[in-house]
Amino acid sequence: MPSAEELAWLIPVLPLFGAVLTGLGLISFNRTINRLRKPVALLLISCVGAAAALSYSILFNQLNGAPPVEHLFVWASAGSFVLPMGYVVDPLGAVMLALVTTIALLVLVYSHGYMAHDKGYVRFFTYLALFSSSMLGLIISPNLLEIYVFWELVGMCSYLLVGFWYDRDGAAHAAQKAFVVNRVGDFGLLLGILGLFWATGSFDFQGIADGLQNGLTAGTVAPWAALLLCLLVFMGPMAKSAQFPLHVWLPDAMEGPTPISALIHAATMVAAGVFLVARLDPLYAQFPVVQTVIAVVGTITCFLGASIALTQMDLKKGLAYSTVSQLGYMMLAMGCGAPVAGIFHLVTHAFFKAMLFLGSGSVIHAMEEVVGHEPVLAQDMRLMGGLRKKMPVTSITFFIGCIAISGIPPLAGFWSKDEILGQAFNSYPLLWVVGFLTAGMTAFYMFRLYFLTFEGDFRGNDTAMQAQLLTAVGKDPSEHHAHGGSVHESAWPMAAPLAVLAVPSVLIGLLGTPWNSRFAGLLNPEEALEMAEHFSWGEFLPLAGASVAISVAGITLAVLAYALRRIDLGRLVAGRFPAVNAFLANKWYLDVVNEKLFVRGSRKLAREVLEVDAKVVDGVVNLTGLLTLGSGEGLKYLETGRAQFYALIVFAGVIGLVVLFGVIGGPIA
Amino acid sequence: MFEFAVAGVSEPVQATVPWLSLSILVPIVGALLVPLVPDDGDGKKVRWYALIVTLITFLITVAAYLTGYDPSLSGLQLSERVSWLPDLGLTWAVGADGLSMPLILLTSFITSLACLAAWPVSFKPRLFYFLLLAMDGGQIAVFAVQDMLLFFLAWELELIPVYLLLAIWGGKKRQYAATKFILYTAGSSLFILLAALAMGFFGGGTPSFEYTALAAKDFGTGFQLLCYAGLLIAFGVKLPIVPLHTWLPDAHGEATAPVHMLLAGILLKMGGYALLRFNCELLPAAHSQFAPLLIVLGVVNIIYAALTSFAQRNLKRKIAYSSISHMGFVLIGVGSFSALGTSGAMLQMISHGLIGASLFFLVGATYDRTHTLQLDEMGGIGQKMRIMFALWTVCALASLALPGMSGFVSELMVFAGFATDEAYTLPFRVVICGLAAVGVILTPIYLLSMLREIFFGKEKEELVSHTNLVDAEPREVYIIGCLLVPIIGIGLYPKLMTDSYRSSIEALVNRNLGAMEQVISPTAPLIRGQAPVPAVIQAPAVGAS
Repeated sequence: MPSAEELAWLIPVLPLFGAVLTGLGLISFNRTINRLRKPVALLLISCVGAAAALSYSILFNQLNGAPPVEHLFVWASAGSFVLPMGYVVDPLGAVMLALVTTIALLVLVYSHGYMAHDKGYVRFFTYLALFSSSMLGLIISPNLLEIYVFWELVGMCSYLLVGFWYDRDGAAHAAQKAFVVNRVGDFGLLLGILGLFWATGSFDFQGIADGLQNGLTAGTVAPWAALLLCLLVFMGPMAKSAQFPLHVWLPDAMEGPTPISALIHAATMVAAGVFLVARLDPLYAQFPVVQTVIAVVGTITCFLGASIALTQMDLKKGLAYSTVSQLGYMMLAMGCGAPVAGIFHLVTHAFFKAMLFLGSGSVIHAMEEVVGHEPVLAQDMRLMGGLRKKMPVTSITFFIGCIAISGIPPLAGFWSKDEILGQAFNSYPLLWVVGFLTAGMTAFYMFRLYFLTFEGDFRGNDTAMQAQLLTAVGKDPSEHHAHGGSVHESAWPMAAPLAVLAVPSVLIGLLGTPWNSRFAGLLNPEEALEMAEHFSWGEFLPLAGASVAISVAGITLAVLAYALRRIDLGRLVAGRFPAVNAFLANKWYLDVVNEKLFVRGSRKLAREVLEVDAKVVDGVVNLTGLLTLGSGEGLKYLETGRAQFYALIVFAGVIGLVVLFGVIGGPIA
Repeated sequence: MFEFAVAGVSEPVQATVPWLSLSILVPIVGALLVPLVPDDGDGKKVRWYALIVTLITFLITVAAYLTGYDPSLSGLQLSERVSWLPDLGLTWAVGADGLSMPLILLTSFITSLACLAAWPVSFKPRLFYFLLLAMDGGQIAVFAVQDMLLFFLAWELELIPVYLLLAIWGGKKRQYAATKFILYTAGSSLFILLAALAMGFFGGGTPSFEYTALAAKDFGTGFQLLCYAGLLIAFGVKLPIVPLHTWLPDAHGEATAPVHMLLAGILLKMGGYALLRFNCELLPAAHSQFAPLLIVLGVVNIIYAALTSFAQRNLKRKIAYSSISHMGFVLIGVGSFSALGTSGAMLQMISHGLIGASLFFLVGATYDRTHTLQLDEMGGIGQKMRIMFALWTVCALASLALPGMSGFVSELMVFAGFATDEAYTLPFRVVICGLAAVGVILTPIYLLSMLREIFFGKEKEELVSHTNLVDAEPREVYIIGCLLVPIIGIGLYPKLMTDSYRSSIEALVNRNLGAMEQVISPTAPLIRGQAPVPAVIQAPAVGAS
């Protein structure tokens, strides 16, 4: 029997098979398939489940020291150009496979509950399976070009899923924005891949790194060109992993159903950029300048996300900006030359952020019973409060997530974030300061979310506030009908995944303790040994203590402001510094700049080109037509005497030929 | 005449069964027999007849490919020669190599689907199907003939049906569009005739217009440049190349869906094919001087047409401009001196033939329901037409070169081929690649905006109250399904298609590289540029097999 590694190609193929089957069914027998909800869900869950089982056995083998496996075949060729595709399984891939399949499986189960009343239930499951397939394909890609293929495919799935509720204008715009912003990143990625292929003749990660090194020493590749290519390739991860300034699509992408926000826009797809940077570590490690750029971009993103999250009133958007911020941490780790730390944070973050998002979905689901299917109301924390007593599982798991992300030991987030901050402290002390402050902000805004949502009194029936919120987005409050039900805990398909995710959120960090990191031992055994050797409590405790202290400070502030209501931050801070408050509430004005500069700018340019096309280019044509035909007589002749006119042209051709021969005949003869 | 065969061009392989002549004559004879088909005037019997004839033609071309065509050979195959008008040097010479075989298959495939797409046509059905069948034969002939005068005749033969199909079944401005089309294409095809006669009579002796004979002639560089320029205008109108494109949005804007599919699917490819066949193959010295111009024009096509498409509010014209934008990649590929890039151009033609046909078919199907093409009057129709929405989404994604579909592979091949093309200086390549890649951003902007405006959002009450928005019927799903099979097939495993023409393209590119070495071209500073001789000697490494 072939080993699990040999069968790794089945991991993306299984969900793809399920997705294609139901997709074809939806096109051919729409009504019948739409009624077969349970069989479809079962089919797709078993496909992803089988992929998960395979992934775990691969991870198990890799933990036991199985060698990496790579299989290639010729996909396209022309001239001397040969392009291989295939799959590769190595420790990094094995970790990601296990992570993605686990979360995808839990999200599928969760969706069974969350989408129960949606008429697009089957379509949703199909898209989810398609996404899982693309994401898993990305992970096992052996070269940059294959990564690009799946990179685009996950982008497409994201487009389809963000625009899932296509009757909503917001979803339509958000989906398009997500795709186009990602294409801006892909523009750089594609050019970078092409350039690296030109410079090195290779698409695979190690081949590119070695080829560029050789090219630089041999002098065939200029240093500036190599730098430029590295930075171009980095544009791809910047867009996909929502790094400043290409992060603008991610918060908007929350228009999609919440399970999607959890799976794609928090745990897996957005981490693909970080994953790619980790894959390209042999390349980036050669260029300290590029690493510094990555670290700075990561730090800016990290701070920006956290600062905007401070003022968000929309529960999902708050979490989205938190994701942006955490992705910034991961990128900072990559820039510090510590891919293991970055991937570790990716893994821990995936578990607790997926749990937080699914928790928020549970809250929104419950809120919809009261305020109706209106995202503006169901997601706004001004209408929540006091949900803890009614939704115990959701509130406890959400609380665990908050502690984990805030970096309180021994939960997962502490270990991974602390490792990144430790690396930053050694490489870029200035960036460490920013990352350190952000850790405090993270703790504050997460507990702000928690207290506003789950503690205090329930505000959901405040019709005045509802009307105010609806008016703010330009909707007519009188047209809206609240359901007027009551909030209750979600059913088991939604509650169970939350409970399952709580376990790794608490425990998984212990795999990466700096004195005995099993995680680093798997990905990079030498580094793990080195870490363990150089570990000293004297270095670890002050830094860790400082991080915990600032997190506790952030939590304390949140408790004082939102649980005990001792201080009024609105008066103290927002009142005194209205500019700062406005700056944050308007998301650093980046959306405004984007809208004014790029969206309107491109529309204006396009209209002008069209004007030129219609008036100048086509104008010349019509003018020529008028001049040659002379008058209305000519036009009439044209309309009635098609065949004659046509013959005339052929005749003119022969005449022209004679003339031509007259002119050039001499030299030929 | 085989004594003319040049070194490097293998001798034609004779056909055992006259497959290609059959594939040209069956639809034309079929067209002539249309009046004999019993019909009640509603076209219900004629359409079956036409469908069967186009399917037979398709099967003939498939049989030709399977039984008589060996993809590993670079030379002419399935060759048939009958002396026709010996005094004029006119020979009925047909044959296929890697340049023509895929396009012949594409033609018969798209035409049979167009026939199915024409199912609802009820106005003068006999004439409609007569023209459709005549066009089928004419288009296959364009790709199959091996004689430049015959080529000219076939090129013209296909113009008249298109003109009439536009002028009789078109939209409101059909007369204007049809006249513009005929003026543009007939006017420009004058250059083909001129060039054909000039090349045929060149050097004295018995005039011969066969490609093999023409290829054997040693035209002077000056003569080549003259012919090249003339042919570039003629084929540039067809492809089309900006600024010779303005007939296309009008013609496409007024055509009905099946005609539309043929225009986008096949007609534009005639331009690209002819560029490769004549400009590259027969005039290599001029090609090495004109190639940078082709590349620049290609980039202009991509960006200019993408921007125009974005601003268009009329759905048909939007897609028409998107076709122009995609053809830019063909130009870049043709202009590159690399087997990879030229292969990419070839694949882009096939891929756009399939994707363009499917998009235009969908435009027609949508128009049948909404009775408007103005995007401002549409909106939210995805709620009633879900399957149509799904088909649109898939085809739009294919058009924006989503991996897994053919458009991605062809654009990638053009990009990679040009980027690694040592015939051009590095700065030129960097600038061109950078600009062409802007198209990668612009294409999704206009295509996704289009989808958003048609299908997303709240239903437009006015539209819903006036129209009957029924979802796609099985016939429509079937047509798109047929087109998607090769689109996705090529996207997943491009060798399926590229292997069928690979050796021909490699032979062509090697000849061109050889020609480029021979021609010292001070007028083309971009080729060679500052690069000294060694750079040129390195050049064949890219395309060498």
